[in-house]
Amino acid sequence: MTDEQLKQEIKELIVETLELDDISAEDISDEQALMDSDLGLDSIDALELVVQIEKKFGIKLENSEDAKTALRSVNSMVEQIRKHNSAI
Amino acid sequence: MPATQLDMSFQNDIRILSFDCVTPFGNSAATHKALVEGRSNVAQYPVTGNDGGQEVPLSLFDHMHAELPPRWFPTVTNMLAPVSGSEWGRVDTPIFVSSSNFGVDSLYYLRRDGRSEQQPYAVPHSSVEQIRRACGWGRNVSLYSHACVSAHIAILAASMALMCGAKRALVLSYDFISPFVTGGFSALKILNGQLPRPFHRAETGSIALGEGAAYAILSLEGKGPRISAQSTWNEMFHFTANEPEGSGFAKLLEPILPALRDSRIWLKGHGTGTVDAGRIEAESLAKAFPEAPLTGWKGAIGHTLGSCGLIELAIALRSIESGTAPGSVGSEAPTFTPNVALAPFSTSCYDAALILSNAFGGAHATMCIRND
Repeated sequence: MTDEQLKQEIKELIVETLELDDISAEDISDEQALMDSDLGLDSIDALELVVQIEKKFGIKLENSEDAKTALRSVNSMVEQIRKHNSAI
Repeated sequence: MPATQLDMSFQNDIRILSFDCVTPFGNSAATHKALVEGRSNVAQYPVTGNDGGQEVPLSLFDHMHAELPPRWFPTVTNMLAPVSGSEWGRVDTPIFVSSSNFGVDSLYYLRRDGRSEQQPYAVPHSSVEQIRRACGWGRNVSLYSHACVSAHIAILAASMALMCGAKRALVLSYDFISPFVTGGFSALKILNGQLPRPFHRAETGSIALGEGAAYAILSLEGKGPRISAQSTWNEMFHFTANEPEGSGFAKLLEPILPALRDSRIWLKGHGTGTVDAGRIEAESLAKAFPEAPLTGWKGAIGHTLGSCGLIELAIALRSIESGTAPGSVGSEAPTFTPNVALAPFSTSCYDAALILSNAFGGAHATMCIRND
């Protein structure tokens, strides 16, 4: 899977998991801050997102610090997913 | 969001006539002794007990499993033997019960196994009703739950009841672990494979969950140690995080600082083992009390959630009584601040101890203990 394909899947997962009615995958930029941004994600959203990312991409984020790093942006998620699952 | 709230500080002397706790180490004396000796009961267990999962650090009485009555019930009622009887739970002897969990383990097993026998223990009021009946108490029993400052809130409510005319007040808190609770903390990633090292300066951290119970009899009269000041504050910054500059701690301490002037104090911090919260707490307390040693005990008994305030109060009272406070068992250098006590220390040169707890939702609570 290319980085672009992975980013698109992550963005779709964000929209779907968090039921973002007014936002589409195309509205989320690669570097956009996911927390404390216009997306309006809170810590419960973050929890849901981490659970879904682990499930979909077969990875295990070891601790809250890794999860926090992953949730910085779509690009950060790509890095963490590749770090924990080189097969993707 | 600006925090506008009622002043929940309290500065009347509340005597602690009697107290005890029970942890996997035993009663308060046995627990205090174990901690002074640097022992930890934290070990690795599957996150959902017999249902398996990754191993996480827990301090348990035994393995998590479905049992009737629930495994917490005999432990709690045995501890309460000295305060059983119909003299408690009357108008002038109210009972204040706190917990984060109450009987959520029974709710979990009820849903999982469909065994209706779990139902009487499965919700807060019914689980406390089982305790009330077993102890022969009257009906003046109220319940308090505010995440990990639950016990502090119950003590504050009991103190106010005493100010309103109650003769004595009994405060009870109990929290036992179930797969429901461990699974939730594990999903948050703050319960992971690492052992907790409270106030240790590191890149990553983990809490350990623990279980136990405690009680205290409070009165405005009598002799013995006293709670000389109490304070609570909710910083309303983030559901699971503190404001990074420590403004929540500053607001918590503000109302009780005048009562601590010219006092030599030691600090029992919340110290769960998470990195951000540990740093903010250690730095905030070192700023307010640069000379005061800071210790945290959740590396030995785990985080007993809503009951930690009362269980750790019992250990602190044993520390004052014996003249020795346990250090931060399980932790190691480097620490966030130089005042973190890794080894036991003498309490005899101090006038008072501050007991602190924090909770999800931005809540902070503290009480000052004196024995003079």
